[in-house]
Amino acid sequence: MSGDDAIVLAGAAKRFGTHTALHPIDLVIPRGQAALLVGANGAGKSTLLRLVAGLCRPSAGSVKINGRDPQRTPEVRAEIGLLSHQTLLYDELTARENLRFFAQLYGLDNPDELLAAALAAVGLCFPSPVLATHERLNQRVGSFSRGMKQRLAIARAILHGPSILLLDEPFTGLDTSACAALHRLLRRFRQEGRTCILVTHRLDEAEGLVDRLLVIERGQRRLDQVLTEDSNQLRTLCAPYLDANP
Amino acid sequence: MSFLGRALAILRKDLKAEWRTKARLSPMVFFILLMLLVFNFSFDLGGAALREIGPGTLWSSYVFASLLSLGRSFADERDNNALDALLLAPGDCGAIYLGKMLGNFVFLLAIELLSLPFFALFFNLSLGFFLLPLLAVFVLGSACMASAGTLFAALSNNMRLRELMLPLLLLPMILPALISSVEATGLVLANECCEKLFPHLQMLGVYAVVFTVLSLMLFEYAIEE
Repeated sequence: MSGDDAIVLAGAAKRFGTHTALHPIDLVIPRGQAALLVGANGAGKSTLLRLVAGLCRPSAGSVKINGRDPQRTPEVRAEIGLLSHQTLLYDELTARENLRFFAQLYGLDNPDELLAAALAAVGLCFPSPVLATHERLNQRVGSFSRGMKQRLAIARAILHGPSILLLDEPFTGLDTSACAALHRLLRRFRQEGRTCILVTHRLDEAEGLVDRLLVIERGQRRLDQVLTEDSNQLRTLCAPYLDANP
Repeated sequence: MSFLGRALAILRKDLKAEWRTKARLSPMVFFILLMLLVFNFSFDLGGAALREIGPGTLWSSYVFASLLSLGRSFADERDNNALDALLLAPGDCGAIYLGKMLGNFVFLLAIELLSLPFFALFFNLSLGFFLLPLLAVFVLGSACMASAGTLFAALSNNMRLRELMLPLLLLPMILPALISSVEATGLVLANECCEKLFPHLQMLGVYAVVFTVLSLMLFEYAIEE
């Protein structure tokens, strides 16, 4: 492990009762690297993300984020932005109230400015192609479409400017313009040297956004490869695993 | 952000959501009114009955109404897995407990104060300054229920039979506080305050402090999957 490693898993495993969701895994992701995590449903991708985010304790081994254990040092979680399967938002609050609430929890000094930046990044703020955006921001999240919720969830995940971004199926429910906005955002994050783990089944969306491929199957790592510029490489490498039985 | 600041942010969020939905207060108020009404028709109330069954009626309705509210206190967090977002925020997760506990305390105290005029009406109780110590009993009794209830609501949040588990876990634990609350309320209603009331208030205060401190220490394990 070096000081340049953003994420280090040393023999980290996760069991739920008798079920092993993730077998012991050693994984090092250097700062600035964008890794694509691929696997069939139930392979252990979300469990891996939750371990990295510090949302669950490893049953064995250890997890270090920027050299610190997120369980023992809760402050390190401020360096993580997580986009989960679910939106992690409150349906009863408006979009603006949701983001302001999370900005408060992160102790952000200039929440309105950061809120505007996060919303702009996902195409939800001026100059936005989405009509009457400001009015929508004052409506309850419960009344939003899946795509709007997803945009807002992305804005929540990046609101505090995390250096590590964990994205679980970020393209779910997004329309073409939102997908393009997310692509721009992830490219910008790469240029800024932020670390990213992207989980998606839509390999075409991940092309050009990642420089490493990790494949896990039944809780075990099957493939770990640094990618070249070849645009077909991703699909070729993943094919045997995604076509296999879940 | 400070520990207290995070707790207050969570409290404000819960109060705002409740103000819009009334998902917790409405069933609590209706349940308490229904219980008082049923007791009003079942017993010949007033006089001695007020002191004998009044405190028990009042606190048993509060306890069961609080179960309705406590059961919902983590429902908002469960709906879109928002609890994960709270846990991802930096800082001690005890702040989540404190924010939730304060919310439960406010809701309990609110329904206790709201139901008091109806209790007075149904039990032929004349309102007066002699009832002022009841405020202390309500505050401390609510603090006891909220401190223990929030921990067990968090614990049962991940369980499959959470609606069943919450009362099973909570009711035996709050029994000492419940007995003291009933006794203290009885003394206030009989206008026998002073030295007899103080030990009960002391007991409620100690229970609330001990359970709050214990819960702050145990909360991160209670919400773990």
